Amino acid sequence: MDNFYRENILDHYRSPRNFGKMEESDLSYEEENTLCGDRIGMAIKLGTKNNKQRTIEDVKFMGEGCAVSLATASMLTEKVKGLSIGAVKKLKKEDILKLLGIELTPTRLKCALLPLEVLHKTLTLAKDK
Amino acid sequence: MIREVSFDYFIENDLPHRFEAGTPNIAGAVGLGAACGYLEKIGMTNVLEHEKELTEYALCRLSKLSYLTIYGPKETTGKIGVIAFNLEGVHAHDLAQFLDQKGIAVRSGHHCAMPLHKQKLKVAGSCRASFYIYNDKNDIDSLVEGIKEARKVF
Repeated sequence: MDNFYRENILDHYRSPRNFGKMEESDLSYEEENTLCGDRIGMAIKLGTKNNKQRTIEDVKFMGEGCAVSLATASMLTEKVKGLSIGAVKKLKKEDILKLLGIELTPTRLKCALLPLEVLHKTLTLAKDK
Repeated sequence: MIREVSFDYFIENDLPHRFEAGTPNIAGAVGLGAACGYLEKIGMTNVLEHEKELTEYALCRLSKLSYLTIYGPKETTGKIGVIAFNLEGVHAHDLAQFLDQKGIAVRSGHHCAMPLHKQKLKVAGSCRASFYIYNDKNDIDSLVEGIKEARKVF
C-alpha cells in the first residue's frame, strides 16, 4: 500500500491539476486505451520563447480512468507547461516513472504511459503550425 | 514431422503426425489426469455444495455494502461461484491492485466481455471474485474488509 497509492498520487487523482476544457487551443487530441476503457484527451496552447523556440504555453487534459492514468496526466501537464516542444518530445517512459516515484506492474505501466502517448500524438499535429 | 530427409528434398509424415513436432505435452496430460483423480476423490457434489455455500455467504455480506454494485443474480440459483462488482467512485483496476496488496486476488477489467461492460452495463470495467474448494469464509471476510478499507483510502 505504502508504495503504490502514495499520498501524492492520490492527491493528484482526487484533485487533478490542469483538468478541464480549454477554450481556444492550438492542438487537441484524444485517445482511448481500449483494454481498460481509460480515455485521455489533451489540449495545448502554443507559445514562443526567445522569439524562435516553440513552447507549450498552456495544456489541459480531460478524460476518465484509474488513479494511475489520471494522476500521471495531472503530474505530466504540470511538468511540461513552459517547456519547449523539442524537450517534451524527448520525454520517455523513464521520465514518467521518475515522476510517479513508484514501481509499476506491466499492466499498470500502460495506464501510466497513456498520458505521455496522448501528449506526443497531440504534438505531432504541430508540424504545420 | 518428416518421414524422410535428404540434401535436396524431404517428405512429410502423414496427418496428423506432420503437425506434431517436438515433445508432446506429456506432463500436461499426466497433470490433468491427476487433477481429475483428485476432484473425483473429493466428489464433485461436495465441490458444488462448498462453492454454493461460499457464494451465498459472499452475496449476503457484499450486498450489505450500500456503495457496492453487484452484477448478475443476487441468489445462488442459476449462478456459479463468480461475483462481479464495482465500488462506487473507484476504478476496477485500482480496487484490484489495492486488494492485491492485501493478498486478495480478484480479476479486474472486462473479463472477456467487452460488449457487456461497454454497451449494456456502461461501466469501464468491473472487479470479479470467484471461489473454489481451497477458499473458506475467512477469505470472504477479508474481501469485505479490503473493500471497506479501499473506500476509505480513495
